[in-house]
Amino acid sequence: MIIFRQISDGLNMSTSFIWWSGVAVESAILLRGALAGLLKKYPLFYSYIACVLVKEIIGMLAYHFAPHLYEPLYWPTELATIVASYAVIIEIFRWSTRHNPGIRRLTQSAFLGVFALASIYAASDLMQGGFSSISRALADLSRNLRYVEAGILLVMMWLFVRYRIALGRNRLGVMIGYSFWVGLNIVNLAFWFQPGNEFSTRLRALLPVTYLITLGIWCVTLWSAQTEPVQPSETDIERDYEFLAGKTQVILTRTSSQVARIIKP
Amino acid sequence: MSGLAAVIVLGTLILVFGVRLVLQSSRTGRNRPVSIEEFANAREALDAVFVETAAIERIFSAEDIEFICRSSTPEVQRLFLKERRALAVQWLRKTQKQVAQFMDLHLRLAGFTEKPSPGFELELTAKYVGFFVVSHLLLLLLWLRGPFRARRVVGYTCAVAGYFCAICSVRLANVTAAEPRS
Repeated sequence: MIIFRQISDGLNMSTSFIWWSGVAVESAILLRGALAGLLKKYPLFYSYIACVLVKEIIGMLAYHFAPHLYEPLYWPTELATIVASYAVIIEIFRWSTRHNPGIRRLTQSAFLGVFALASIYAASDLMQGGFSSISRALADLSRNLRYVEAGILLVMMWLFVRYRIALGRNRLGVMIGYSFWVGLNIVNLAFWFQPGNEFSTRLRALLPVTYLITLGIWCVTLWSAQTEPVQPSETDIERDYEFLAGKTQVILTRTSSQVARIIKP
Repeated sequence: MSGLAAVIVLGTLILVFGVRLVLQSSRTGRNRPVSIEEFANAREALDAVFVETAAIERIFSAEDIEFICRSSTPEVQRLFLKERRALAVQWLRKTQKQVAQFMDLHLRLAGFTEKPSPGFELELTAKYVGFFVVSHLLLLLLWLRGPFRARRVVGYTCAVAGYFCAICSVRLANVTAAEPRS
């Protein structure tokens, strides 16, 4: 009993430490954003941080002063922050592709496709699960929204990698922190919904730490405003895709046939 | 369980792409803007690899190895083979590098175009992947068998592939001819 109480106290202490650290780092991010002028530049991202901060404070107050309210409050606030986190995708997307109209169009189409597919999958999953309780339904919805978000994020990252879109240190930090958080979060959520999975319990304990790491990445990379990547001047850019792709295709075909001609006896 | 696996793959891919983005941004020169002139220069550099085609063909020449086998000691033969292998590998690696640089420039420039076509991009990617795979197989063959035997293996493979293609074409023609007319 004594050992259990000691462990429980230890856990409470570490939970409180992570909670307070999270609130402190979120406040620091907001403060630095305001001082460095990044708050005006990335209002959606900072709105998300503010939303999470409010959620943390509400959760903390409920946990300490009205524990009976903590459980009913948990999933609605979690759902609200997941919806708000879509703002981060919009923020990264609209800034990163402002010089790339073609990629923007392509990405928007891909987003719509992924969103539609993932929403259909999520809705069918929700219907199959039934609505045993509001908390359960909200938890399912939150998980499915995260999956949709992860799908959209993956498409965006793939396009950024493929077309070598330069992000700049601030936006790269937002992107890396966000992908780290979403990547681990969806894996955690997937295990969470597996009944009797012990790994899920261990992973859940790690989740606040991963969020703290994410906040750390954001705090460091958004500490000051960094210069934007240099964009080529309009005269140096070839806007005609067919012209460019045609030339690339000709060169690729010619190179392949030349290699084949030399190597074949 | 398959859903769980899919989510784990999705999460892992996100993390992998995150690392890739960091690496992409940390590489020097990756963040500077590219121009259509650079694309033209890369094209010229790639063409330059094949300027001395006769010299490159000489690396794989059967006449040379036959001459060496006839008139020199095993030590000289070994040295000759070693040098030719090194030359062949160097040439192929240089070609691979130039093609990779060229594709990199294409993608960086394609990002700025008004209407990129996903279909055409897919076609280009398939072509590049094809070149990448075949050239690496060739590189492996050069390492393992040397330039002269590698050339023989390529010739044999092409002949077998051509033979099967011809058989398939004849069979297809027979099947088409035998189809009842409606």
